[in-house]
Amino acid sequence: MTPLDSSAVHCTGIRKHFGEDDARVEVLRGVDYTVRQGELSFLVGPSGCGKTTLISVIAGLLETSSGEVSLFGNHLARMPHSDRVLFRRSHLGFVFQQYNLLQALTAAENAAIPLLAAGVRRREAVDRAAALLNRLGLGSRTAAYPRQLSGGQQQRVALARALVHEPRLIICDEPTAALDHATGEAVMELLASAAVHPDRAVLVVTHDSRVFRFADVIAHMDDGQITRVEPRQRTDTATHLGSSRLTNPSA
Amino acid sequence: MNWVGLQMLRNDRAKFAAMIVAVSLAVFLMQNQAAILATMLSMTAAQIRDVQDADLWVTEPEVECFDQVKAMRDIHLLRVRGIAGISWAAPLLKIDAIGHSEGGRLNTVTVLGIDDASLAGLPHQMRVGRADAIRELDTAIIDPGGHELFFPGEPFQAGRFLRIRDRRIRIMGISDIAAPFTGLPMLHTSRSTAAALNLGEQHMTSFILARSAPGSRPEVLCQKINALGGLRARTTEQFAADAMWFYGSQGVPMLFMITITIGLIVGAAITGQTFLMFIKENARPLSMLKVVGTTDRQLGTMILLQGTVVLVLGSCFGSGIAAAVCNVIRTQPFLRSLYLPWEIALGTCLALASVTGIALYASYRHVRGLEPAAVFR
Repeated sequence: MTPLDSSAVHCTGIRKHFGEDDARVEVLRGVDYTVRQGELSFLVGPSGCGKTTLISVIAGLLETSSGEVSLFGNHLARMPHSDRVLFRRSHLGFVFQQYNLLQALTAAENAAIPLLAAGVRRREAVDRAAALLNRLGLGSRTAAYPRQLSGGQQQRVALARALVHEPRLIICDEPTAALDHATGEAVMELLASAAVHPDRAVLVVTHDSRVFRFADVIAHMDDGQITRVEPRQRTDTATHLGSSRLTNPSA
Repeated sequence: MNWVGLQMLRNDRAKFAAMIVAVSLAVFLMQNQAAILATMLSMTAAQIRDVQDADLWVTEPEVECFDQVKAMRDIHLLRVRGIAGISWAAPLLKIDAIGHSEGGRLNTVTVLGIDDASLAGLPHQMRVGRADAIRELDTAIIDPGGHELFFPGEPFQAGRFLRIRDRRIRIMGISDIAAPFTGLPMLHTSRSTAAALNLGEQHMTSFILARSAPGSRPEVLCQKINALGGLRARTTEQFAADAMWFYGSQGVPMLFMITITIGLIVGAAITGQTFLMFIKENARPLSMLKVVGTTDRQLGTMILLQGTVVLVLGSCFGSGIAAAVCNVIRTQPFLRSLYLPWEIALGTCLALASVTGIALYASYRHVRGLEPAAVFR
């Protein structure tokens, strides 16, 4: 397998600007970046360096000004908008800094949203989400509403929402930023154990250096460019086998 | 995803309730005013439609409604009777006079003198007594509003007396006719009695009531009568429509339409504004839904369903209140004809839905324009 064959995300010469003329701001200045399947890859850098813009481009939420992005060999920019939405629904999972749980739904219902969006019947979707929450240690809180959950529990629900449809790429935006150190560690531990899988890549945007030890690769970003890619030896205790058990009931 | 949309709506109880209340009040206001207008207009034709024996009304050419009376020469009755296809024709005398009760109550009354021989035009529905008791001279039957006016608070009962132009008229029963537009008491009596009250008048016919023979079309008979010259014949429904148009063209409907329009605009504005606010305040969750792969079509359906639930619930509450108020009001004898036609109930709800639909579309446009990447910020 060539490096490109095993890549989940492959960015080449990505440029992105906002505004025109005097108001023009270059946010991405020719980003070359690859995330491989089975990797837990961190994208780190100071605020305003373009991390969020880069993951938005990777997720197909923003158009590039130039350059190409491919996800598992698919060029999102060449897809019609509707196909891009369906691709995202099937192959991508997201974890946000502010959780973005719907206050009207229980934990299990929140976690079931990607399945509901895909047309799975409500009962089946919620049952599958509840089973996943159970494996993530929230089995007793599946019927709780977000306001009844702690920050760490809410982030675990968000993690379940990102995993429930078994996507091939999970994009996490500052997943520990709103959590205290211990809770952030616990969430990262869970992410590393539950999400990482040989057929899946996990891309985490963070500037929380306390959780760098979970990374397989850390890409440093500054001023709209990847300045350094640093392979790491992960020191967390989770194994890919373990993650397989968590996300694949038949495993 | 529709279920998710409904849960989001239910969760924001304050806005959900505000929108339902706004729709309910708007629907109630519009239906109430429209019902009063429709009732008033139908009251202008009530005395025409109450006459069920006849299907043709013949008048002097200038007459446009029941309340316009121009005495007709008796020869006209014979001319109408002479038309082939007319089964029968009978005179109807309408006069206004001052009546007063033995208790001292004084009011103008409308007296309808019905042909003694045929009793054509006699009310069919009675609350008390028998209608054909008016064959006896100086007797009459009175409508519920008239009874209440002359004998306030007293139970409906026959045997009381009214004095009209120095004659003592005995009330033989209480009719159940529709309330008249003029609000005046309606006395049905024999033409002989009415003629005795019609002092100084030479002609004793105000209208000619006629019935088409089986196999004859009333519209064709109207043409034949009109061709005689000096007469104007109309079917019952044509005469009723002319009466409603006559009063309707005098500006009153416009006053009601202003209130109805205000109800529509205020109701739609509050509902639309609140709904748009609800959508804007949910911009972040909606962006999240877009990020995780909810299509614009799914979001549009969610919004449509949310709006439909608000409109249906609000319309049901508003219509229920309007119907209840209508039922309470119509227990009053003078307002007994108030009614809420289903066409008005449906029409007002659809009108509000159409205007509020603009807000729903604006909300959908807003959601479509949401930048999903904003959820990362």
